[in-house]
Amino acid sequence: MYGYIARRILSTIPVVLIVGVIVFSLLFVAPGDPAAIIAGDQASPADVERIRRTLGLDQSFLVQFGHWFSRVMMGDLGTSIFNGKPVTELIGLRLGPTLSLMSVTLTFAVLIAVPLGVLAAARQGTWVDTGVMMMAVLGFSLPVFVVGYLVTYVFALQLQAFPVQGYRPLDEGFWPWLHGLILPALSLGGVYIALIARVTRAAMLEVLGQDYIRTARAKGLGLGRVLFLHALKNASVPVVTSIGLGLALLIGGAVVTESVFAIPGVGRLTVDAILQRDYPVIQGVVLVFSFVYVGVNLMLDLVYTLLDPRIAY
Amino acid sequence: MHRRWFLKNLATAGVAAGAGILAKPTLLRAASPKVLRFVPQADLANFDPIWGTQLVVRNASAMVWDTLYGFDEKFRIQKQMLESDDVSADGLVWTFKLRPGLKFHDGEPVRAKDVVASLDRWSQRDNMGVMVRALQKELVARDDRTFRWTLGKPFPKLRFVLGKMNTPVAFIMPERIAKTDPFKKISEYVGSGPFRFVANEWVPGSQAVFERFADYLPRDEAASWMAGGKRVLLDRVEWVTMPDPSTAAAALQNGEIDWWEDPLPDLVPLFRNAAGVTVDIADPMGNVGSFRMNHLQPPFNNVKVRRAVLTAISQSNYMQAVVGDDPKLWKPLPGFFTPDTPWYTEDGGEVLKNGGDLALAKKMLAESGYAGEPVVCLIAQNQSIVKAMGDVTIDLLKRLGMNVEFVATDWATVGSRRASKAPVAEGGWSMFHSWHKGADCIGPYTGARASGDHAWFGWPSDANVEKAFDDWFAATNLAGEQDALRRVNRYGLESVVYAPTGFFRTYAAWRNSVSGIAKGPLPFFWGVNKTA
Amino acid sequence: MSAAPDRFPDSAVGVIAAPEMPDILPEFTPRAGVIGFLRRNPRIAVGGTILLLLLFCAVFAGYLGTVDPAAIAPSRRARPPSSEHWFGTDMIGRDLYSRVVYGTRVSLFVGFAVALVASGIGLAIGLVAGFLKWVDGPVMRVMDGLMSIPPILLAVALMALTRGSVGNVVIAIAIADVPRVCRLVRSSVLSLRELPFIEGAVTAGSSTPRVILRHVLPNTLAPLTVQATYICASAMITEAILSFIGAGSPPDVPSWGNIMAEGRMLWQVKPFIIAFPAVSLSITVLAVNLLGDGLRDLLDPRSATKA
Repeated sequence: MYGYIARRILSTIPVVLIVGVIVFSLLFVAPGDPAAIIAGDQASPADVERIRRTLGLDQSFLVQFGHWFSRVMMGDLGTSIFNGKPVTELIGLRLGPTLSLMSVTLTFAVLIAVPLGVLAAARQGTWVDTGVMMMAVLGFSLPVFVVGYLVTYVFALQLQAFPVQGYRPLDEGFWPWLHGLILPALSLGGVYIALIARVTRAAMLEVLGQDYIRTARAKGLGLGRVLFLHALKNASVPVVTSIGLGLALLIGGAVVTESVFAIPGVGRLTVDAILQRDYPVIQGVVLVFSFVYVGVNLMLDLVYTLLDPRIAY
Repeated sequence: MHRRWFLKNLATAGVAAGAGILAKPTLLRAASPKVLRFVPQADLANFDPIWGTQLVVRNASAMVWDTLYGFDEKFRIQKQMLESDDVSADGLVWTFKLRPGLKFHDGEPVRAKDVVASLDRWSQRDNMGVMVRALQKELVARDDRTFRWTLGKPFPKLRFVLGKMNTPVAFIMPERIAKTDPFKKISEYVGSGPFRFVANEWVPGSQAVFERFADYLPRDEAASWMAGGKRVLLDRVEWVTMPDPSTAAAALQNGEIDWWEDPLPDLVPLFRNAAGVTVDIADPMGNVGSFRMNHLQPPFNNVKVRRAVLTAISQSNYMQAVVGDDPKLWKPLPGFFTPDTPWYTEDGGEVLKNGGDLALAKKMLAESGYAGEPVVCLIAQNQSIVKAMGDVTIDLLKRLGMNVEFVATDWATVGSRRASKAPVAEGGWSMFHSWHKGADCIGPYTGARASGDHAWFGWPSDANVEKAFDDWFAATNLAGEQDALRRVNRYGLESVVYAPTGFFRTYAAWRNSVSGIAKGPLPFFWGVNKTA
Repeated sequence: MSAAPDRFPDSAVGVIAAPEMPDILPEFTPRAGVIGFLRRNPRIAVGGTILLLLLFCAVFAGYLGTVDPAAIAPSRRARPPSSEHWFGTDMIGRDLYSRVVYGTRVSLFVGFAVALVASGIGLAIGLVAGFLKWVDGPVMRVMDGLMSIPPILLAVALMALTRGSVGNVVIAIAIADVPRVCRLVRSSVLSLRELPFIEGAVTAGSSTPRVILRHVLPNTLAPLTVQATYICASAMITEAILSFIGAGSPPDVPSWGNIMAEGRMLWQVKPFIIAFPAVSLSITVLAVNLLGDGLRDLLDPRSATKA
């Protein structure tokens, strides 16, 4: 088992390396000059040129890549061109809100979607099934920001039940933290709920058709027990996979959700950095996101081996 | 099989890591401090008012750093950090004396050597500072409170230059910070202004925090813009960046923020109907919209083509696109200088007053020798004012029969591409939009200069305009300044240094619990109070 | 690499579970007729009908009571719906009805083009990777790398590189989808490769390209078609999100994403600006998703919902 884990971890190294090369070369050829933005609207062209030189932006691709790569190897992601803060610090400041948003969304989504999927599978072909599936399709059909505006209007402006924007760190209390994240999680979670509900239903249908489930039912076990204890456990591999792969979806959605709800997270950091051409930040963030994605999927891979002993490693 | 053990440890590790990241250092807050939450026009992405010249940086800097002189609301330059100033009869030797008791946020007194170092750094970056520097013979600290500036030629506008609000502003920093290379950012934010910058709570892209500086010594006079006694009544000001204006609107309605610097004009009706929110003109000095052409490349290197475009411009179209239906928010502007100030002039502005004569413009274009050269318009999509003007321009140039090529991009790319002097086929450009603060457009501002290579992007070159600006610098009274600017206006429109698209104002909105907000070219936090 | 992720195809926005690959296209019995086919497959019927209507709008946009969607009129900006402007006007006075109708063209084009480009490239790479062992490793690592960058971030970054044009939007979105198609095709090739008739063909001396073209390609098309519909749906949503972020189609293009992005700031005061394109987009995406679900049920009987 440890051999498998080691091999699996090693296999992620080239992936992350490739991401580094992709990201660095993408941004190197990008138009848009950070020096011009830094200098400001009223600066003279000569000022812009001088700033460009002091930032090392006038050097060749290989030189810049070499510098960058050797620093990354030492855990230094560079400093932001715009505010001079270390990229690791910038990401550190923003990680809390994003992780909070994602974990709350994930929890909500799983709590809502899995029972819905199980229900739909158990009542296959009935109006319950059709209803759940229609909702799931609808979940894919609206852009996140439209959902965000709708929930803001109803729950924050009309009912005054939730704040419109902002993030309160966890150490200000669990409730203030959660309170501010409910609306963002609701709008971000739509797609995710749809995804997980569909996968759960499909996986359950497959399992429910198998003999041992019929046997269990025949033995007189209650429907609930059969569904949630026996069937769901065996349907869990695709469900867990979808949670992991959907993470990319969640990160993409977080970019928009964080803008709509003014949450100071990593998603917004990234978009701001892209629009400002803050190269070190873009590179750092995309690397970190890739790490998270690769890491989570690595963990899930390892979890499968625990969930389903039939998978060889 | 170690499955259970493995799962358990995995879970424990995950929880521990999560808790570590989620916990933020506890913020230190007084028992019940007066906290004002403010939404600025843009994010405070960097914080060096000499190195970066964005207005938002200037506005935040005005809280943290003080100036030798300050502009008041009557456009007069008043002494601010200075107790006295004195100029020799030949106009060459200026002697300044600081007020006693000025302190930096680190507790050190403000000394003349700090001022000398600050002026030295500033005068390498500021256009007018560079002019003074060119005349400078000596700038020295005489003692802790006195310094002297000796020039080779008289420079009557020295007070104006040291007190102007146009970026970069001559802010005074401690010597050790001011010693930083003017082309590198400072990394310590210590000033002697009425607010202290709380550096460890600064999250670029999200928030910047300022606290009242208890040892600040306000002047005795009443505060008036950047002049007078800057009395701080709040304990703490939090700048919150809102990426989405509709979120800012909702937050203001919900009472989650106290003051929004620049609400979209279209959202203002929302606050008019909402209880608890006040809306008013933010800055009576307003803004001057600008449509800049590249004077180095065809077709706009031909003054006749530029004049044809100027003739075609309908400022009401531009201004309605920018500020919306509210007629109180905009005025036609047949020139380059701010209305309702002594420097306003309409000399030579008939072409813009008649405005939008498409038939005449087409005729002029036909006679100009325009041969269908492509016009590359750079339009930033993430800047609503620029975008609105761009939409109007595209439509205008198409109707004028020009061969328009529309480069929809972002502000960052415009900022970079407009620096290129190359032909359009080689990555150059033909035109872009911008705007200038009305408070700056009362003298020789960057956008109106026509000094060729030294001028702003587009590099207009016109000896008459520059001669007139020289006369402004030499002028010793208002009449002289007015006469100079009249000539700038006439010659400038004749050679179309840039095309003004109109004068517009914007609103600010705040909760009724906030009082004492002054109308001015930047948000002033002194004199502002908040009831619980 | 582990076996587990390949047990289950990847999911992007709307790229949903197709847990097991169908073997071949089912027999289509002509005698049942189109009506009978549609009756038995209501999702295809509903989704297809809506799509046909939208396609009609797109093709005949100029004949549906529209005016020039780019004609500005700042003096009558942001007007609510009226008999003159059925959907109202936008922030610079353009007619929203015309923009939304013309927007059908853009959104459908983006959706279909992304689906085509991503499937085409993904199919080519996936077939090669699945068949040639020595290509497989390096190519799939690059695909893994690409895939671990969140698609929307990748698309935004690509858009920041290039000049805004609808074509570039298509490419930026498609590139992010390629690895997913590629993995789907590859895994289906890997399972097909072991089937007796392919093995037989190889042993019989058919050249590799021939085997791919004659035997493998047709059998991969079914799952790919299903996947392509989901890509199409998600691409339309992504287009809107790119516009929201400010990295989408050029603003003079009346895409639904652009109309929403321009009007979104005013959702409280002028909700109609964002509502019409949002509803249009939802209906379209819904239709494509329904069609996709219907196709999946049809092509993959095992997970079909037959009572």
